[in-house]
This record gives sequence, C-alpha cells and structure tokens, in this order.
Amino acid sequence: MHEIRTGFGDILRRQLELAERNYELLSDRGVRAINVMGAIGSGKTALILQMAQRLRARGVRVGAIAGDVAGDDDLKRFQAAGLPSAVINTGDDCHLDAHRVGHALEDFPLSSVDVLFIENVGNLVCPADFPLGTDQDLVVISVTEGDDMVRKHPKMFAQTDVIAINKVDLAEIVEVDPQRLVEDYRKVNPHGRAVLTDAKSGRGVEELLSALGF
Amino acid sequence: MHEYSLAHSLLSGLLEHLAAHPVEGRILKVHIRQGELLILSEEALREAWRILAEGTPLAGSELEIEKVPVRVRCRACGYQGDARYLTEEGWHQAIPILTCPGCGARVELLEGKDLAIVGLTVEEDTAEAKPL
Repeated sequence: MHEIRTGFGDILRRQLELAERNYELLSDRGVRAINVMGAIGSGKTALILQMAQRLRARGVRVGAIAGDVAGDDDLKRFQAAGLPSAVINTGDDCHLDAHRVGHALEDFPLSSVDVLFIENVGNLVCPADFPLGTDQDLVVISVTEGDDMVRKHPKMFAQTDVIAINKVDLAEIVEVDPQRLVEDYRKVNPHGRAVLTDAKSGRGVEELLSALGF
Repeated sequence: MHEYSLAHSLLSGLLEHLAAHPVEGRILKVHIRQGELLILSEEALREAWRILAEGTPLAGSELEIEKVPVRVRCRACGYQGDARYLTEEGWHQAIPILTCPGCGARVELLEGKDLAIVGLTVEEDTAEAKPL
C-alpha cells in the first residue's frame, strides 16, 4: 500500500471564480445585488416586493430574479409589480449557483436597475455553500417554522449578516417567541442584525432596508 | 441534499486526473479535505461516492474525510488565525463564528469552505513498490 499526494484543485473554487465574475459584472454595471435565501413559504417573495415598493418610492430602480425548481409563479408576481425580472428554473437542483446566475445576468436588462434581488430556491441548507457573487446575503425565516430554526441551521446563520424573522403577526397563534430566534442568532452571529417583519402589512420592512444599508 | 452533485464533481475530476496521470494498482482510499463551514453530511457524501463510483476504476474506494477548521482574518484589528467556535450545550455541533474574537468586527474567511481531493491510498499489484 502506498500514499499518493495528488490534488487537482478545490471543486468549489470553480464556483467561487464564477461568483467573482458575476460580482465584477454587477459592480461594473453599478448594480447592487442581494441573495435572498430561506425555506419554502418563509415569505421571500413577499418581502422582496415590499422592499422593492419602498425603494422605488425613493427613486431606486429595482429588479428581481426568481430562482425556483420549476414554474414561473414568482416571476409573474415580480412582473405584476412592474419589476424588470427573470426566472431561473433549476430543474431538480436544490439551490442556485453562480453558473446559472451568470447566464441569467447575460440576458438581464442590468442598465435599467440599481438594485437586484436574487431570490434563491426555497431551501435553508444548500444555498449557503454556493456563492452567487452578490454584494449581500439576506436570510428570511418565518415564526411558523418554529423557534428552533437557528439551532437547526446554525452554519447558515453564522455566515449571514442580516436576517428577517417574518410573519411575526402569527407568532402568538403558533406559540413561538421571536426573541428566542433573535437570541440564538446573536450567539452564532454576534455582529449580525435580525429584524422582525410582517411582509403582509409591511411592518419592519423599513428597518430591514436600513439593516441592509439602504 | 447537494452531496450527490458534489460527489459527482469530485469523482469526475479525479477520473479525469487519473486518465492523465495513471496510478498502478487499486485505489483503496481517496483523501479529501472538507471545510468545517460547509453544510455537508459526511455520511451522505460517502454514500453518494460509493454509488457513483460503481462501474468506474474507483469502484470500492472509500472517502477519507479530513475536516479543515475555519481560519479567519480581521481587517479592523489585524487578527489572523482560528475562528472562535460556539460549543455551548444545546447546540448540536461546534459552530464557527465569523465575528472577530479580538474586536467583534465581521471577519473574512481564509479557510473553511474547501472541498478538495488531496491524496490517494493505493494497493499495489506488483511486488515491487514504485517510488513516487
């Protein structure tokens, strides 16, 4: 038996290189991009629409890319709101990756947006391992997912600097204390910011925008 | 969930490498380094490898996974070194914290998201072992 030291590079490095290419393209075109991640039904689309509405009122031009395994339901929601938008259908993949986003950016009217929300596939695990080349990450969780969501996905929260805890209007009904989520988040990400939101009424959306630096 | 696609990338990369740099004898182990910030199940990765390697020269080989601790750098105070880990009871694993242990600023990642093949253990058919 013998040992051979080999190595043909990190297989995730390719992802990183593609992400950097996206980042350069976006910054060249003056577009600030935000990767919005979170479980299915956490309220990612609704929050994006709320943020878009407020940003546009301030004169910021907003676009959105919907990432879904299949279908164009979110795309239609973005279109109905008048946002320049596109959809990436991943087939069966559980996450967006820099390669797919790169192709979507090639066809996207980047010159007509200042801010681009990229809504990842509904999934709180896999997207964390695939950088897209965005300026910022945002994770959306809803109180209906339970008060142990941060504990169940600690590494995702450790590397995400802004999170929205959505559907706080339902907290009492589902008997979840949002403060427990906030406290858990503080432990895994002491410098991060957690914002309580209710995307339906718009509560907390201004605060979320300010946490993102708008 | 993405263990299969990553195992597939590792496998096809290694098969390509072996086509260009063949080794004598059966490959018993494939040594990989996995950053501790990756959200990957070791078990699922091994299982995916076992299934995907069938019918290839790597059939029957096993993954030997070495975990790479998270190393960080702070632009605010200049700290460079190991990330602090949260090991409190009630959390199911040690969680790397990306806040500077020195000054509390956000740190940048130096190491901890790697997934790379670093070596092979080979059983030789020939009595004479070939030097590397």
